[in-house]
Amino acid sequence: MCFKNLPIAFDDQGNAYLKEDIANPYEYKVVDLGQEQDKLHSLMEKNGFIKNVDYDPVTRVAGALAFHSVVDLKEKKVLSTNSMATLFRGYEIILKGRDPRDAAYISSRACGVCGGVHATTSALAIEMALGIKPPPLGVVMRNILLAIEYLYDHPLHLFLLAGPDYSEELVAATNPELISKAASSKCKNKDVHGYDTILDIMKDLNPLKGKLYLEALSMTRVAREAYVQIGGKYPHPQSVVPGGISVTVTMTTLNEVYTRLIKFFDYGKKTTGIWDDVFDFFYEQDERYQQCGVRPATMADTGVWDRPDFYDASFENCDKWGEARWSTPGILVDGEVVTTKLSELNAGLEEFVEHSYYEKWQEHKFKTDDKGLPLSPNHPWNKDTIPKPGKQSWRDRYSWDTCPTWDRLPMEAGAYSRMYLTAKAQKAPESKYLENTGHSMKIHVPKYNLPAADLEWKIPTHWNAFERNRARAYCIPYSAMVALENWEIAQQLIRNGETAVSTPFEIPKKGLYKGFGAWGAGRGFLTHHLIVENGLIQNYQILTPSTLNAAPRTPWGAPGPYEEAVMNTPILEKFDTPEDYKGIDILRAIRSFDPCMPCTTHIMAKDTNHVVTREVTTCACGIE
Amino acid sequence: MELNKKTLIGTVGYHILGNHSMPPMMYHHLTKMSWPDHVKVDELNWGPVAVVQMMEAESPPFEKVIILCAIERKGRKIGQIDVFRWLGKLPDEEQIQACVGDAATGVISVENLLVIGEYFKIWKDEVYLVDVEPGPEVAGEKWTESMESCIPDVISTIKKLVVTGMDDGIDIKYLQGDTLFTNKIVTD
Repeated sequence: MCFKNLPIAFDDQGNAYLKEDIANPYEYKVVDLGQEQDKLHSLMEKNGFIKNVDYDPVTRVAGALAFHSVVDLKEKKVLSTNSMATLFRGYEIILKGRDPRDAAYISSRACGVCGGVHATTSALAIEMALGIKPPPLGVVMRNILLAIEYLYDHPLHLFLLAGPDYSEELVAATNPELISKAASSKCKNKDVHGYDTILDIMKDLNPLKGKLYLEALSMTRVAREAYVQIGGKYPHPQSVVPGGISVTVTMTTLNEVYTRLIKFFDYGKKTTGIWDDVFDFFYEQDERYQQCGVRPATMADTGVWDRPDFYDASFENCDKWGEARWSTPGILVDGEVVTTKLSELNAGLEEFVEHSYYEKWQEHKFKTDDKGLPLSPNHPWNKDTIPKPGKQSWRDRYSWDTCPTWDRLPMEAGAYSRMYLTAKAQKAPESKYLENTGHSMKIHVPKYNLPAADLEWKIPTHWNAFERNRARAYCIPYSAMVALENWEIAQQLIRNGETAVSTPFEIPKKGLYKGFGAWGAGRGFLTHHLIVENGLIQNYQILTPSTLNAAPRTPWGAPGPYEEAVMNTPILEKFDTPEDYKGIDILRAIRSFDPCMPCTTHIMAKDTNHVVTREVTTCACGIE
Repeated sequence: MELNKKTLIGTVGYHILGNHSMPPMMYHHLTKMSWPDHVKVDELNWGPVAVVQMMEAESPPFEKVIILCAIERKGRKIGQIDVFRWLGKLPDEEQIQACVGDAATGVISVENLLVIGEYFKIWKDEVYLVDVEPGPEVAGEKWTESMESCIPDVISTIKKLVVTGMDDGIDIKYLQGDTLFTNKIVTD
């Protein structure tokens, strides 16, 4: 029984039903956020050390994120937080009324980093809606594409976006006392990465000049080169289509990919060694760093990398093919797996707009899914996107992001969720490269220039900013090994003459069809919910990882993941006066999620398709 | 003036944003035109970091780069063509890092391309922007009449820059990195 808050129960045969004798089963309480604001105002009037700290925009994230916090600089505590997506995403509206075959190309543009992921998620949604099963090589090549996309994405975040927060320059400016300690702290993984002291690593994490920063830039090129062998171009591939891919795959293609992929064997060993050393150093200096960005390990992940012998695209079998994936879909609540079934993951989803610039929709078109699982009126298949720009107010509405929940719980998403769920659930396929122990994931990375290595990512005691980044580092060898395993399968398929990469299909001109694509961006959880009616897209809803992570309060007042993580963050930065305060701890907490606001926010073409609107106050000055 | 410099004509801009999308839409037209052997036409939308890596691998390097762009600037009429020469000079490191952050996460921006290119020293000699005023952003694939009617002049300006250079009857303005983000245009 995975649902504790939604009114869904299961009978002895495991069939779901809506609990009886509840007058309004999906009713929820809407809390007045004004009371909290009144208290904060009163505190700020009495205490000069309590300050508004606003980041608008939050830099070194992709796009339009602003963050408001109220901080007690004397007690070194965060008192209140608000996460704001400052631009509107209009893809749901752009896609309405279009031919479903357009969706992969258009939705790909939702992100300038993970366009291929959106394209594939869209293809998966159409495959489910219309019953299109791709051939094995098509499935396997999509897996390789995805893994390569992660090999672009994770180094980029670790060294270009989050990395500078741990660099000599930033640490010297915010916690100078750590510099001398870093100079005398020896690295445990010197044999892998070559750095003698932590300060040596910190120097090479310096933005623009540090060797690790520059190396990450060059590794993104290696990943892109591998990607375009299959995708044609990056970040918006031309070859991802419903039914598979549209490019001929030969041994030459695979060899071209392999020569790039192997470079990530050593890079994965090195990256995990570097971040293990850096993060362990911070913990050793001050155990309160364990509380930076901490929140319960309550996360959602769709799972990725389909097994060609399981995936048939059908909703009927989605629990089977979902659980067969190389990364396991599911839900973690406070570190415990509550489901690994895609149908339950789907049924528990809701989106709320009480604190967002949208109008509430009225219809409850789909009361159950095709297995009879009850669906809330707030479920993406029932949702209608009705933008309503307005005044920004912490008491009321303050974000273009919606508030997605699963079983009424705010959910975190990330590359790390993929790893956490897979390690914990132990349902992923047997693999010579990957081993899930229930408390860790062992990754056996073959020799390249460095010797073969047995890496192990362990589920941490505290789920915090450092652990998000550490897990992301381990996702590099994890992704590389999934790519390698799929590369071997692709080779075998070609040897066997199974070279088909796509399944032809037609869009039915009559009837209503629904599906959802469940795939994962570099930042984790991604779903596209699709309704096709009489040959055209009737509804399209995208839920991205940053939609989950950047969510504003729930209607009942629970903070979104960024908000909660920052609220729990102690202020460990050293400063003499409030004017010197830079907020590094808060920024580390936010950036650890790898915010990707292009996914969450996009410009809409208003009504006439001729006006691009940006009707939102992004400056936090003077906001209620 | 040295002739036959190895030259890159690049286009930068988002698609489906009306006049703002003139450069990427002109890319196909420019590739079909007949150019001397030392001239290459390429789309430069695929990220400043990737452009840097491409330019670093180019041997010999491009000595002249002409970038077609459409940036909304105050005080111009739609279709007005300005030619800017890039004088180099970098903004502060925080701004450069912000440009890299944007670039690495998919933002298409001529300014980011100029700054990141300058930081990684890919601009060898002459870099020009042929910058056409697009007016306010609108969604869609169509251009306004003012934009349509300036296209022959856009092409002739690019041709003139390819064949000759800055001192051949073209009114040149200047851009440099240390003032780029404060909207100051150096008019010499």
